[in-house]
Amino acid sequence: MIRVRVIPVLLLGRGGMVKTKRFADPQYLGDPINAVRIFNEKQADELVILDIEATARGDVDFERIEDIVSEGFMPIAYGGGIRNTDQCAELFRRGVEKIVVNTALAESPQLVSDAAARFGSQSVVASIDVKPNLFRQPRAHTHGGRKATRYTPVELARTAVALGAGEIMLTAMTREGTFAGYDTALLAAVTEAVDVPVIANGGAGRIAHFVDAVVDGGCSAVAAGSLFVFAGKDAGVLITYPSEAELAEQFWSRIDGTVVH
Amino acid sequence: MEPSSTSPASLALSAARSYGAALRVRTGVRDEPPLAKAPAAPPAAARTQPPRVCAKTVMDDSDPDIVFDADGVSNWWHDYQAAKAKRPDADRQAALLDATLTEVREHGRGKPYDCVLGVSGGVDSSYVAYLARQHGLRPLLVHFDNGWNDELAVHNIEKIVKTCGYRLHTFVMDWPEFRDLQRAYFKAGVLDLEVPTDHMIFGALHQVARRHGIGYVLTGTNFATEWLLPRAWHYSKRDLVNLQAIHRTHGETPMKRLPKIGVWQQLWYQRVQRIREVDILDLVPYRKTDAMRTLEREFGWTYYGGKHYESVFTRFYQGWILPMRFGIDKRRAHLSNLILNGELTRDEALAELAQPTYDPRQQMLDKQYVAKKLGWSAAEFDEILARPRTAHAAFGTDARQRKLAELAIRTLHPLARLVRGTARK
Repeated sequence: MIRVRVIPVLLLGRGGMVKTKRFADPQYLGDPINAVRIFNEKQADELVILDIEATARGDVDFERIEDIVSEGFMPIAYGGGIRNTDQCAELFRRGVEKIVVNTALAESPQLVSDAAARFGSQSVVASIDVKPNLFRQPRAHTHGGRKATRYTPVELARTAVALGAGEIMLTAMTREGTFAGYDTALLAAVTEAVDVPVIANGGAGRIAHFVDAVVDGGCSAVAAGSLFVFAGKDAGVLITYPSEAELAEQFWSRIDGTVVH
Repeated sequence: MEPSSTSPASLALSAARSYGAALRVRTGVRDEPPLAKAPAAPPAAARTQPPRVCAKTVMDDSDPDIVFDADGVSNWWHDYQAAKAKRPDADRQAALLDATLTEVREHGRGKPYDCVLGVSGGVDSSYVAYLARQHGLRPLLVHFDNGWNDELAVHNIEKIVKTCGYRLHTFVMDWPEFRDLQRAYFKAGVLDLEVPTDHMIFGALHQVARRHGIGYVLTGTNFATEWLLPRAWHYSKRDLVNLQAIHRTHGETPMKRLPKIGVWQQLWYQRVQRIREVDILDLVPYRKTDAMRTLEREFGWTYYGGKHYESVFTRFYQGWILPMRFGIDKRRAHLSNLILNGELTRDEALAELAQPTYDPRQQMLDKQYVAKKLGWSAAEFDEILARPRTAHAAFGTDARQRKLAELAIRTLHPLARLVRGTARK
């Protein structure tokens, strides 16, 4: 049985942790330090922490990140507001294992190649947020989804790999926070175009969706936000994470035979 | 994680886990307990004489108000017998339960929910959820997230939600505001550091009930396991005057989003909105040991043994701060109550008390975590914990407000009845 990684994505904003729906309406979820502590006890594989206000604010809150990251023993990736490799070095020093770049992909590609050269590709994750444009063509977005680029997701993914990113996190903006399932067509288009691991994100509402991301989308890992911070759709805030047994039975046993990077 | 344990001796440690414990103070302005005195007992280390322990329970003179009779039996044993004699017998309990359930169902007819139920993941509140399901009630579950949840808490709540299919509403405290309030309590040097949490739970439950037009709040408060608590070991959870004075003196950020609730608002909720609290565990034969077995069987609920508490803060407060700083081992009250309830022998309780409150290594880890969460360095935290103790009352109390409220009730109640009577005609 192949053990595919299942990764909670936590968003920082409004002085704490938030959850958005389709990249809008951040709902306050409380203190991220305790959330990471609980995910740690639940033995989550990895965490992705994104500060969704950092790019606009123009800085990286190192101390806060260190306080949060030190509660988890799993690998933690951080993204938000990273502008130079010294910041990356500082993040690694404070316990972050991977850095996540999004806006930099389109605006300062040099940062991505510098970071990959200095720290290795395995520590650079390219996060690509995708939304259809007016003509229903998918386009990569930056600045927390607020700014459209002229790149298709496949183009930007290829660019990211060429720059040295070791992993791609692909988010369907219109699915994010909806519990409706991943955009598997989008995932498949990108996984076919690149040969680095792709993490599916945006829309997971139950474990069965993880299977779709791997079988139909060709992804190497799955990520989710709402699924792990709410007790269900339209329900209260509650940190959850499937047990090893649940994942084996409902996820990993159902993807046998599927090629995974 | 430790294997689940149903050792009765370990059960008592979890008594404070429930919102029930939080809501121990009775409803209504009239029933407020007398104001807590300054803690009189010195830390255990400072004693010169060995403590005197009750011959029937394990209460000792760390309760400054304890009185012993000629046989060395404390007032707690005698008071319990008296209180117990006044409790309804099994038949009367069953009749009361029946009447209450009918009332709750009646009230909820045609509405999505018939009651609000606060869930913490602890034994008492989880068992209330079980009872609600047993009797076909339709509760809105409310969980209060104050930023200190343990994995145990969220795990158990998840199990309850999944098994019962009840809707969960989480009341997430604004963490920066709540943290500031908790910091203020530490800086003030007062005894009851659980007031911020318990007060806000009380406020949150009523806010949610009112918002959804729900008339009943089911609590986990219970006579069987929580009756015994010396008044010098805690302070009123409902005294907003005291809370605000402490915050005014030692707080740094304004309190805007927290669901605080004062005397007048309590009156409003209870008398005008007619939101009632039901201590449903007092209407059934309740034993902690049996309750836990039921929960494990029905919900896949997990008990991690006596050494864990569902809130890191509560664990550290009861297991470290109270004993170290105030010479109070709250287990004495919990274990004594279980002895009185016939769930535990005195010897078992004494054996439990001979153990540390919980793993000393975990205590030190918790201390670091609490300091970090509250935004203090280890040195700053030590300095604050070494500050002189201050009585709650030194900050002022709501005693005057409560007197006024009583007067208002006495004056307005007959008037309201008159008006209502006329309206009906």
